[in-house]
Amino acid sequence: MACMNEDGQWIVLMGLLTALGLFFLALIINQSALVGQTTAEGVLEFPKNDIRDLRSAIFDYYDSYEELNNDLDRQRYVEDIVRISLERKNAVVHFENGTPQDVSGRMLRPITIHYNNGVTEYHETVYY
Amino acid sequence: MVNDSGQLYTMEGVAAGVIMLLTAYIVISTTSIYTPGDTHIPDMQLEQLGSDVLAMMDTPDTNGVKSDLEKFVVGDDSAGFEGMFLGYCNAKAIGADNLHMSANVTYRDASSNEIRDYPLVGPDNTWTGRESAVRVTRWMELEGNPSGVSGMDPSRPRVVLVEVLLWRA
Repeated sequence: MACMNEDGQWIVLMGLLTALGLFFLALIINQSALVGQTTAEGVLEFPKNDIRDLRSAIFDYYDSYEELNNDLDRQRYVEDIVRISLERKNAVVHFENGTPQDVSGRMLRPITIHYNNGVTEYHETVYY
Repeated sequence: MVNDSGQLYTMEGVAAGVIMLLTAYIVISTTSIYTPGDTHIPDMQLEQLGSDVLAMMDTPDTNGVKSDLEKFVVGDDSAGFEGMFLGYCNAKAIGADNLHMSANVTYRDASSNEIRDYPLVGPDNTWTGRESAVRVTRWMELEGNPSGVSGMDPSRPRVVLVEVLLWRA
């Protein structure tokens, strides 16, 4: 093309740009499966539902804390959560409570929750 | 360069080279195809669906009453649990999905300090052991022992883990 005829340079240039644009689109399609895979793996690996469920189980425990008759029942209850977590969910769980404190006029109990399943770690102190 | 003629030849050569390299790269890298089973996307969706269904079943209608899930576990109601769970799972705008489930309840025996489980819902005949099933769980607070389950330690307030295996047949 060079030196043959100087006409139509713009057409040639636009053709080149179009070709590059098509390659760019092809690259996006090429990567899309990989993006879906890594996203799904990320979601599967991060135990969002497990942590939420564990928190609600712990809050349930403190809801019925006063109703539980004695320390032995409480201790067994906590042990249920800790042991079953380790055995069936592969997660080390620890939680404890402090004495209720005055938080904006309400007596709330500080609860410390620790969770570690080897991949995800979660720590929280919540007044409940 | 000896002289500066033939610049456009060089440009064309470079452009053609880039295009050929890109073509080769895309063709070669596209041949590694991720199959749907590889991508974990259906697993992720199934797990989220199962978790949501369990959360829904564990939500009582009004404050102070027991949730449906708790009633099924306490009453050891296998058919009721399966019916409601699959009813929610298989709901679609048109037609129905083809999901199947089995469920176990894991508890701790305080006297021997062992983790045990008992089947709540047995698998149906679509379960061959080759399904790529996902497991979803839900913690459940019980005031006493589930009825009709033998071999548990004396009744006490306890926490059990409801585990559901979910697969598409």
